[in-house]
Amino acid sequence: MYEPSAIAGLVITAVLTAGLYALMSFGLALVYGVMKIINLAHAGTMMLSAFVVLSLNRALHLDPILGAVISAALFFGLGMLLYRVAVRRVVNAPPIASLLLLFGVWLCAQNAAYLIWGSEDQSIVTVYTYSTIDLGDVKIAVTRLIPFGVSLLALAGLSWFLRATDLGKAIRAVSQNAMAARLVGIRSERVATIAFGLGSALSAFAGGLLTLLFSFNPDFGGTFQLKSFSIIVLGGLESFTGVALGAVVLATAESFSILIPGWRGSLINLLAFSLLVAALVLLPGGIASLLERRGKSE
Amino acid sequence: MRPRVLLAPLALVLLLALFPAVFPGELNYIGLGFLTFIFVTLAVSWNMVGGYAGQVSFGYAAFFGTAAYTTAILWSRYQWEPVLTLPLAGLAAVVVALLVGLPCFRLLGPYFSIATIGVGEAFRVLALNLDQLTGGASGLNLPLSVPSKSWFYWSGLVLAVTVVSVSGWMRASRLGLGLFALRMDQDAAESLGLNSTAFKNVAHCLSAFFVGVAAGLYVVYFSYVHPNQVFGFDLSIGMVLMGVIGGVGTLWGPVLGAAIYYPIRQLILSQSNLVAFNLLVYGGLLIAIILFEPGGLLGLVRRVTRR
Repeated sequence: MYEPSAIAGLVITAVLTAGLYALMSFGLALVYGVMKIINLAHAGTMMLSAFVVLSLNRALHLDPILGAVISAALFFGLGMLLYRVAVRRVVNAPPIASLLLLFGVWLCAQNAAYLIWGSEDQSIVTVYTYSTIDLGDVKIAVTRLIPFGVSLLALAGLSWFLRATDLGKAIRAVSQNAMAARLVGIRSERVATIAFGLGSALSAFAGGLLTLLFSFNPDFGGTFQLKSFSIIVLGGLESFTGVALGAVVLATAESFSILIPGWRGSLINLLAFSLLVAALVLLPGGIASLLERRGKSE
Repeated sequence: MRPRVLLAPLALVLLLALFPAVFPGELNYIGLGFLTFIFVTLAVSWNMVGGYAGQVSFGYAAFFGTAAYTTAILWSRYQWEPVLTLPLAGLAAVVVALLVGLPCFRLLGPYFSIATIGVGEAFRVLALNLDQLTGGASGLNLPLSVPSKSWFYWSGLVLAVTVVSVSGWMRASRLGLGLFALRMDQDAAESLGLNSTAFKNVAHCLSAFFVGVAAGLYVVYFSYVHPNQVFGFDLSIGMVLMGVIGGVGTLWGPVLGAAIYYPIRQLILSQSNLVAFNLLVYGGLLIAIILFEPGGLLGLVRRVTRR
């Protein structure tokens, strides 16, 4: 019924999108893991970072990927600052306090972007924006390939950092058991500051890479934030592999949704929202917990 | 409640009720009054679940939108009297509340809040795409023959007074006490035999009903309905904000929050030099309240008067 090459194209799109989705969601998972709060400012960070990349591109003709790296460094600092100034005070309050606080930060970020860059849709066109790579019958857009490769690199680097360095191990220790981590002498406050900075840097990096694929305005980011929620919830909120799996599930669902009869492109975001609710209700531990359970019972 | 406690609110209601009779020409203020009453209704209803039960929902626009379209469609397609559609609008919202609440109340704390963001946005996207029913991105124009502004003002006032009374009754009832208990410690409340899921769902449905009636009145007033307007995320956020500004979980906090939020919002939106700072005002307010006075304005007042 469907051409094999069309299906292959959908699979490739799904895989490429999943890489970017995983990168975009990992910042949220990291922050949740360490301080058990949901960073609603994630969308604002992605959006502001997209504009920073735009400004770097306009002023210095900097490639968006290089721009995303610079922006990630910038938001690493801003994230740590935000944690020290505000987030620190609500970490131990009822969860709603941090949700509302960071939502407030998001609103302020949106307004700042309106004031600085205006409300028009912006996009970045590079020399490779319209080029594709032909693999027989399947064409792959370079703008999808590059963010995928860069995301994989970043995730690999992050995975190494969390496994091999002392700081990374400390971050994982705090996520597993904050009290026990403190008892063995880990300075959890410092770890949390760095984790929040790192989470913001990851959001910013993803936001910068998204400029290769999408146009953006100050409202940008909200949908991607919800997608990130679905992904980390699907993945079980804290697990590294879980996030990757969640990203694959969402990207595959989105990519293959066009095969549903009567489907429209404008319904695509419905998938993320429904997956989010379904995962929360039916699979509270995420896919990772499902795998673990399977593993344990064997 | 002791009779003297009721004296001041009764006097306030009486004064408010007299306004259109004394100044029948002040149509702008009468309209503003009506919409403020609608937002008071929304804030007080939201507070029954977000405040009393501590289940902060970011998805109330799903109730508002569904109810708004119930009234709009019954009125424009089936020629119902708008007023007769209001109970059905409320019931439609209750149905949505059950559909959302039955699965989502299995989630605790922030998970519930996140799920409701997803639910609210899913309803909006669906409404935008069901254009046969909702008019899609162009919205629905409704009949223009609507009652006078004073009629709306008084109806809004009646609705707001009703919902505040119900909210006040709840605080002393089994329902409200159960909600307070599960907000403080759900496990402890359940170990004493409280069915927390049932309590949350009842409160959710009750609050959705009032949101639905308010939504019905709202669309009749504007004679126009659009998915982004009645299902908008900013509407859901507005309800959270009004509660937070005034004081979450109190009787009068949301009333105060709405009475401040809505007129200020209108003022900001109507001034071209202020519009640019719209979100900054709310974002900044939210940050300041969470960091410095989680009890909202009412908490601030209490702190000042105690000194």
